[in-house]
Amino acid sequence: MSETTFMSVPRDKISWHPTIDYEKCNFCMECATFCPHRVFEQREGDRRLVVANPNNCVVFCRACSKTCGPDALSFPDKQATIAQIRQIREQESVQ
Amino acid sequence: MNSAILSCTGLDKPEGSVAREVAIRMASSANSEIICPVLLNRSLARYKKVLAENPLIVVDGCSTRCASKFAESLDLKIDRKVLVADASKSSGLTLEPTLNLGANGLALAQTIVDGLVQSLTAPASTTQPAAPSTEFPPPGEYLVVTHDKFEFRIPSTDYWFNENDVWVRPLGDVARVGISDYMQQSLTDINFVDAPAMDLAVEQFGELGTLESSKAVFEVVAPVAGTVVAVNPEVLSNPTLINEDPYGKGWIVEARLADWKQDVDLLLDGSAYAAAVKHKAEEA
Ligand code: SF4
Ligand code: SF4
Repeated sequence: MSETTFMSVPRDKISWHPTIDYEKCNFCMECATFCPHRVFEQREGDRRLVVANPNNCVVFCRACSKTCGPDALSFPDKQATIAQIRQIREQESVQ
Repeated sequence: MNSAILSCTGLDKPEGSVAREVAIRMASSANSEIICPVLLNRSLARYKKVLAENPLIVVDGCSTRCASKFAESLDLKIDRKVLVADASKSSGLTLEPTLNLGANGLALAQTIVDGLVQSLTAPASTTQPAAPSTEFPPPGEYLVVTHDKFEFRIPSTDYWFNENDVWVRPLGDVARVGISDYMQQSLTDINFVDAPAMDLAVEQFGELGTLESSKAVFEVVAPVAGTVVAVNPEVLSNPTLINEDPYGKGWIVEARLADWKQDVDLLLDGSAYAAAVKHKAEEA
């Protein structure tokens, strides 16, 4: 089971996860080996690695990108994500 | 100041070629002795004296960090580090896609050399972080989370946490920041601290430097918005202090708080973080 809320916001409402740039990725699998949260999964075929469980990704973590030689992993803008979280929290507290 | 320089071999990607060029330029213009990684791998004895007598600069091309990992595997003490891929981004010099360096590659190599020379020759007073401004009493009572044979301690009061395992302890208008016992145990022995610059203004959840162990590079995710007013000089010279005393002597940064009232809304108190640690430990 993975975290289902982040600061009491449902995790699936927060868009924070790595995106693989398949132009750059060389499928070394460093990221998949590194991340303990089963965000990545290996597949058959051309795209041998996919972000299968984006909501398992720890909000604001970017650790796997620091293992990626070709710099193929990107993340959303943090400030935009924070604004999104604050907005959802405000909406929920007025309800 | 003399130094020893260990760089990426530069045969895999352009960033590596820049790393190699930096080593060559440091040797010819800044009294650096090149440590050839391939020869080092065959014969540590060849470089024993150079390594014992000089601070070691490690230049990695890309985030695979082969040179750093190699140095760490030999237990070499690293004095400073450069990651060419980051330097390329921060300087706006985009590398040509060839192993033979183009104009941008050469310019980036020189920019990195200039930065290294400057930091090696700067008087200690300008590179030494400012002394901490405030006395922080040691942590009081701990909550303890146990999982298998592991025990993770969490101060029950005075400390707040983000979900990225970074703590903050406010006192007046400043706060200390460090990493939790859980995270220091997950990282194992920390061997390098890349501290944020003094006076850096950081947003909540922005980056407050990185820590490195043989397991990972850990980004210190800022628990609060603020301005860096001190970096712990002791953890810079002895990073394992973070492992030994994560909530006390192993603090990393002191920041002047920008908006504690707003920030605390997105932080966990000791007991909430203890629940998060329990969850993480069970999941990992
Ligand atoms: S670490 Fe980077 S290059 Fe390697 S598999 Fe992951 S995304 Fe691809
Ligand atoms: S950012 Fe962290 S949690 Fe998310 S996939 Fe990468 S390593 Fe895993």
